[in-house]
Amino acid sequence: MNDIDLDPVPAATGDDAIPVPDEPASETIIEIENLGFSYDHGKTETLQGISLEIPKNMVTAFIGPSGCGKSTLLRCLNRMNDLIDTAKVTRGTIKILGQDIHAPDVDAIELRKHVGMVFQKYNPFPKSIYENVAYGLRIQGVQKKSTLNEAVERALVQSALWEEVKDRLADSALGLSGGQQQRLCIARAIAVQPQIVLMDEPCSALDPIATARIEDLITELCENYTIVIVTHNMQQATRVSARTAFFYLGELIEYAATDKIFVKPDKKQTEDYVSGRFG
Amino acid sequence: MAAMRGPQVMAKRFQKRDKRFLGIGAQGAIKGFFGGNALLSIAILLLICVFLGKEAVFFFPKHHEELELYRESGQEYVDSMKRQVEGHAELNGLVAQAYYAELDEIAGKERSIVEAFGAIVDTGEDLGEDEIDDWADARDDLEDARDDGDAAAIATAQQAEAQARAAWAAKLGAITPELRRGEVDSYGRLTDADWEQLLASLGEWDPVEEEPPAMVEEAEAALKRKMTSFGDARDAFATAVSDLRQLKERLRGIAMDVKDEAVADQTAAARKAALLAGAEKAVQAEDRQRRLDEAAAIVIREKFPFAERTAVFYESKPEHAKVAEEYLVKFDAALALLPVAPGSPEAMAKLETVREKAPDFRSDFQRYSAAVQEWTHDKPYGWFKSLGKFFFGKDWVTNSSWHDFYGLLPLFTGSLLISLIALAVAVPFSMGAAIYVNQLAHPWEQHIIKLAIEFVQAIPSVVLGFFGIMVLGTFLRDLSQVEWLSWVPGFPMQERLNILNAGLLLALMAVPTIFTLCEDALNNVPKAFTEASLALGASKLQTILRVLLPAAISGILAAVLLGFGRVIGETMVVLLVAGNKIAIPDFAAGIGVVTQPAHTMTGIIAQETGEVDPGSLHWRALFMVGLILFAISLFINWTAQKIIHRFRIA
Ligand SMILES: Nc1ncnc2c1ncn2[C@@H]1O[C@H](COP(=O)(O)OP(=O)(O)OP(=O)(O)O)[C@@H](O)[C@H]1O
Ligand SMILES: [Mg+2]
Repeated sequence: MNDIDLDPVPAATGDDAIPVPDEPASETIIEIENLGFSYDHGKTETLQGISLEIPKNMVTAFIGPSGCGKSTLLRCLNRMNDLIDTAKVTRGTIKILGQDIHAPDVDAIELRKHVGMVFQKYNPFPKSIYENVAYGLRIQGVQKKSTLNEAVERALVQSALWEEVKDRLADSALGLSGGQQQRLCIARAIAVQPQIVLMDEPCSALDPIATARIEDLITELCENYTIVIVTHNMQQATRVSARTAFFYLGELIEYAATDKIFVKPDKKQTEDYVSGRFG
Repeated sequence: MAAMRGPQVMAKRFQKRDKRFLGIGAQGAIKGFFGGNALLSIAILLLICVFLGKEAVFFFPKHHEELELYRESGQEYVDSMKRQVEGHAELNGLVAQAYYAELDEIAGKERSIVEAFGAIVDTGEDLGEDEIDDWADARDDLEDARDDGDAAAIATAQQAEAQARAAWAAKLGAITPELRRGEVDSYGRLTDADWEQLLASLGEWDPVEEEPPAMVEEAEAALKRKMTSFGDARDAFATAVSDLRQLKERLRGIAMDVKDEAVADQTAAARKAALLAGAEKAVQAEDRQRRLDEAAAIVIREKFPFAERTAVFYESKPEHAKVAEEYLVKFDAALALLPVAPGSPEAMAKLETVREKAPDFRSDFQRYSAAVQEWTHDKPYGWFKSLGKFFFGKDWVTNSSWHDFYGLLPLFTGSLLISLIALAVAVPFSMGAAIYVNQLAHPWEQHIIKLAIEFVQAIPSVVLGFFGIMVLGTFLRDLSQVEWLSWVPGFPMQERLNILNAGLLLALMAVPTIFTLCEDALNNVPKAFTEASLALGASKLQTILRVLLPAAISGILAAVLLGFGRVIGETMVVLLVAGNKIAIPDFAAGIGVVTQPAHTMTGIIAQETGEVDPGSLHWRALFMVGLILFAISLFINWTAQKIIHRFRIA
C-alpha cells in the first residue's frame, strides 16, 4: 500500500511541465465567477466573491479550516443548497460546460444528473447492492435489464468493488464494510455517467487502508470524470489532486497547482495552513 | 509490598459516599421506584387477564349445557323448520318487491288513477256526507212514490230528488278545488290532462251506489288485466309455505312447553328447599301450611322425561317429510309462473336474484329437511359444535323466550367492517398528510396541520358520535338521495346510522394516531438517504416513492396496525352511530354493504352489560366477547412491535 504515496499524480506532472502553473492545462469545465452565497436570505455572506475555474478530467481539491465554506461551495455546484429555504446566491455566476446553472430554464434535477455527489458519511440506500447502483438509472426511466446490468457492472468495476461484491449483488448494501459502502456510493454516483463528481471528505469516516483504496480510485476515475474533492487531509490533497484551492472565512485565498500550494505558496496564510502552523 | 498497598489506597479513595436511609441508598431508592412502576403495570395487566378470564371461561361449559337443552327440548328440531320458512320468506319478500316495482312500471298510471280516485272518494264522502245522505233519502222516497203509483207524490219526489242531486253537484263543485293534487296523486304520475279528465269524470260518480266513473273503471280493469298473471304467481309463491308454517307453529308451542318445564325441573330442588325453609319460619299456621303444600306439589325428578315429552316430534317426522316434499313441488311451480321478462328493470333484477338464489335455497331447504329427519333428542351435543356456535354463530339473540343464541360472527363482522372502512379512509389521508408535512410543507403549514390533527384527537368520542347522528348521518342520507348519484352502490341508503357513517367517524379518530406514527417513521429515515437520492437527480416525488417510503415502511405498517387497534377498540362512536342491528350485513349488496347498519363487539358490551344478571350465561358471553377483543388488541400491538423490529434499518 505504501507505493500509493509515491505514485505521481498524472495530471500534476503535466502541470509541472508548464511554466505558468496558474493556468489550467486542459479545458475548463466549471467557471465560478465572483460567487456570493448566503444561508440567511442575504444577511450574511458565507461565500464572499469566489472566482475559480476548474479544469476538465482532473482532480481539484478544496482545503481550508473548518467552517470556511468548502462544503457550501461544493453544494452550490449541484445546487443542493436549493433544498435550504433560507439559502440564496447573492451575486456572481456558476457556469458548468458554459451554461449558467442558475439560469431560469435550468432544472436542478437535470443538473444533478450531470453533477454527481459523494457524501462525507457513506449513505447507501437500504436496498440491495445492485439496486443502489441502478438507482440513478432507474429514476431516469431505464428499465431494460441488460442496460441496467451493464451499467451496474461497469460502475462497480470502475469503483473497484466488482470483485468483492459480484457474487452478492442481491444482498443488502448495509452489510458491506464502511470502505466498501463508500466505494458503493461512488459507484452509485458514477453509474449515471456524470461529467463531474463532487466529493465532500469522502474518506473522513474510513480507516487508512480503505482511504488508500478510495484515493487509488479517485486517481483512476479522473481519466473519465472531473472530480472536485473537499479534504482536511493535506497528504490526501497532495496525493490525489492536480490543483488545490485554499479557502479561509468564505474567501478564496489561493488557487494553483497542488505542488505549488504545498511547496511554495504565494500567500502567507496558505503557507501557515498547509504547514500546520495555523492558529 | 507496593503491589499490596496499591489497591488498599485505591479502596480508601473510591469509597461509596451516598447517604443511606433505613439501609437504602439513593441509587437503590430510584431503582426501586422505577422498578416498582414497571412491576405495577405488569401486575395490573395480569390482574385484568385473570379477571376477564375468570368471568369468561365458564361461559363455554354453561353454553354447552344450554345447547344440550336446546336439542333435548326439541327446539333444535323446530328451528330447522323455522329456517326453512325464513328462507322462503326472504325470497317471498323479493317477489313482492318485484311485484310492486312491476305494478309501478307498467301500470303506474292506472294505479295512480285508481288510488287518486280512492283519495277523492274519501274526501268527498267526508265533506259531502250530509248531501249524499239527503240524496240517498230522496232517491228512496222517489222509489217509494213510484211503487205507490201516486203521480203527485212522484212529481214532488222527483223534484226533491233533483234538488238533492243539485245540492250534491254543488257540493262536489266546492270540494274539487280543495283537493290537493300532491296529496291525492302521491306519486305525481298523472299529467295535467289526466288530472283534468279525472276531475271532469267525477260528475259521473254516483256516491250513493258507490259507482266509480268510467275512466276509473277502465283503469281498474287494465290494472287487473296487466297484473293478473304476475299476481297469481305471487299468490302461489306466498301461499306455498302455508302448510309448513302451520306445522312449525304447532310444534313450536310444544317445544316451548317442554323447555319451560325442563328448566323448572332443574330448579325444583332449590325451590322446594326454599319453600320448606320458609314454612319453618312462617308465623301463621295457614301460611306455613300453604308453603308446605306447595313444596309437596313439587316433584323432584331424577331426570326430566325428555323421551316421553318429545315423542310428538318423532311422530311428526313423516308429516314434515310430506309437507316439505309438497312445498318443493309448489315452490318449483310458483317459480316457473313468475314472469320471465317483466317490464320494469327493477322487477327484472329482483326476480333474477330470486332465480339465482333459488338453487341455494333449495339445497339449504333439503339440508334442513334432513336435519329434521335426523334429529334425536338424546344425541350428545359435540364440543366443537358448541364452540363453533359461539365463534361462528350467525345469531346473537338474547332475552328471548324461545332460546338465546350467542354467536360472535355478526358482532365480529360489524367491528371488522367498520374498522376496515375507517382504515381505508384514514390510511391514505394520514399517510398523505404525514408525507406532506414531513417533506413538502412550509414550517408554518407543518405547524397548522399538526395543530389541527391534535385538535381532532382532543374531540371526545361521544361528541363525535353526536356529530355522526345529527350531521354526518343526515348529510350522507341526503347525499345518497341525490338523483345522479344513484349509481353509487348502496345509494340511496335506507338507514341514517350505518357502517359507513361509523367508519367515517372512526377514520377521524384513527387519523391522529396513524398520522403521528407515520410522521415519526418518516422522520426516522436518515436525511442522508433523501439527500443521496436528490443528488442523483431524482425528483422530490421519486425520492419519496422510491427511497423515503420503502425505508419507512415498517414504521408505516406499524402505524396502520396501531390505528386498527385504536378503531377496533373504540366504543362510544359505534354504539351511537353504527345502527346497532345485530345481523351479519348482506354481502350480496357488494360494496353497498357499507350502507347497512351493524352492531359491534365493543358496542354490545357497552349496551348489554348493564342489564344482565351477574353470573348468568349472557353475562359470561359478554365477558367472553371482551376477552376476545382484548386478545385481538394484544395481538395487533405485538405484531406491530414485531414489524418494527424486523425491518429496523441498521
Ligand atoms: N445549512 C446551513 N444553514 C446555515 N448555515 C450553514 C449551513 N451549513 C453551513 N452553514 C454555515 O456556513 C459556514 C460554512 O459551512 P461549510 O459547511 O461550508 O464549512 P466547511 O468548510 O465545509 O467546514 P468543514 O470543514 O467543517 O466541513 C459555516 O459557518 C456554517 O456554520
Ligand atoms: Mg464540510
